Amino acid sequence: MMATAACVEGTGDGWLASLQLRYAEREGRTVLAHRRHQGPLLVQRSFHPEGAPCHSYLIHPPGGVVGGDRLLLDAELAEGSHAVLTTPAAAKFYRSGGRRAEQRQTFHVADGAALEYLPAETILHGGCDVMLGSRFELSGNARLCTWDVLCLGRPGSGDHYVGGACVQDLRVLRNGEIRLHERLRLHHGDRFLDATWGLDRQVVVGTLVATPAAAGLEGELRDSLNPPACVRWGVTRIADILLLRCLGPRAEEVRRLAEQAWTLLRQPVFDRPPSPPRIWRT
Amino acid sequence: MAMTIIRRTMARHTTIADDAGLARRRLWQLLSPTLPIGAYSYSGGLEAAVETGRIRTAGDVGDWLAGQLDHTLACVDVPLLARLHGAWLADEATAVHHFSSWLRACRETAELAAEDYHLGRALAALLSDLGLVEADAWRDEPMASWATLFALALARWGIPLQEGVEAYLWSWCDNQVAAAVKLVPLGQTDGQRLLQELAVAVGGAAAAGLALADEDIGGSAPGLAILSSGHETQYSRLFRS
Repeated sequence: MMATAACVEGTGDGWLASLQLRYAEREGRTVLAHRRHQGPLLVQRSFHPEGAPCHSYLIHPPGGVVGGDRLLLDAELAEGSHAVLTTPAAAKFYRSGGRRAEQRQTFHVADGAALEYLPAETILHGGCDVMLGSRFELSGNARLCTWDVLCLGRPGSGDHYVGGACVQDLRVLRNGEIRLHERLRLHHGDRFLDATWGLDRQVVVGTLVATPAAAGLEGELRDSLNPPACVRWGVTRIADILLLRCLGPRAEEVRRLAEQAWTLLRQPVFDRPPSPPRIWRT
Repeated sequence: MAMTIIRRTMARHTTIADDAGLARRRLWQLLSPTLPIGAYSYSGGLEAAVETGRIRTAGDVGDWLAGQLDHTLACVDVPLLARLHGAWLADEATAVHHFSSWLRACRETAELAAEDYHLGRALAALLSDLGLVEADAWRDEPMASWATLFALALARWGIPLQEGVEAYLWSWCDNQVAAAVKLVPLGQTDGQRLLQELAVAVGGAAAAGLALADEDIGGSAPGLAILSSGHETQYSRLFRS
């Protein structure tokens, strides 16, 4: 009976990995008050390198996702808590073998709480079939900064995303009302990948979102960024959400530009000087 | 007898619908380039694409427009216009607001959001002046969008949804081609050739968009969004987007 149950859990032909996290404020510091995981998706021990905020690393030990796998993350940040989440390695999605892989991430950020979700890049290999969904539910004056860097194949290693298919859906809600909804449809062979209005023949697409952004912050960011020539980029705002979008040839440059933006935004958005997670430097 | 009662109770929404010819003529009015809402002052990112040398020929314009029809209008505007139309027909004010907010959340830059907002408010004012009293509240509603008010007109003037959706896409093409004629620039005949091609793409985009399930709604165009972001600070501009 137990074996049967485990089989169902893993859907028989793909891994189900889920992780639930709850951050709360205790005596002036944010702690990971609750965690529950099933399957290979874990959170490593937390750090407090800058005082109150809690820095955590999310780990997916298998290191790659194949067709049929599902990765579910659900994180809750209670009132007054501040969490900085990152990942030590790129997320990799391999050939699907005919079944879609799925990654769903939901974040609930309470009034007065702050979330920075700054993962390493996601590499979509040729032949993948992937649904990536991220949903940020903010309450009251919750603060958020997050980015996503997607790489279509690894052209340097001869992977040109042949047969790849991915939908990436990003939503930010405040008090239950949708404020930002982005949806990228990245299908190999589609004109979207080459078109001026689409990816413009670039293989890396990055998006950074920060909110709430005070009036004029987008202008300051625009003037302070020092982007490499190979990256096309733009800064704008939708209501109180600041957006940086980038298209580039390699993850490194896009990632560096997003980091630069985060460094410039940390004080105005989170009222703290930047304190980059140590793992970024290793 | 029963028929009379049904006719009476449905009178509010169907008097005009009973006259298919009149509904069609109302649609023509809504599509007229002389509609006083100022759509001609927006290029939806086209000016930035021309300015940066990414669009140089009529062919480039055709790709730019047909691509957006498939990737953003069919995935965002069409399904939400259809849902707004349903919400107006059912008199569900909360749903009208919800779908309008969703549409706004899909607009990718400050300029594109402002364009939609200004056109929506202008259409609200016009429809209100033409006797659609429900439009009045949308003159000052922050979530007003072109689609919100266009859907109201379709619902109250008895214009069938499929026709209304194609008309919505058509008016977008018409306005974009007019902007391209000024910006690229193109000859008037080139513009008409483009519209003739786009007429085919409009049918496909309308059908695809109407078939979309709730969970598949949404469509982004990062290259366009980056150009439009740049336009926000472009030194010299003819258009407001």
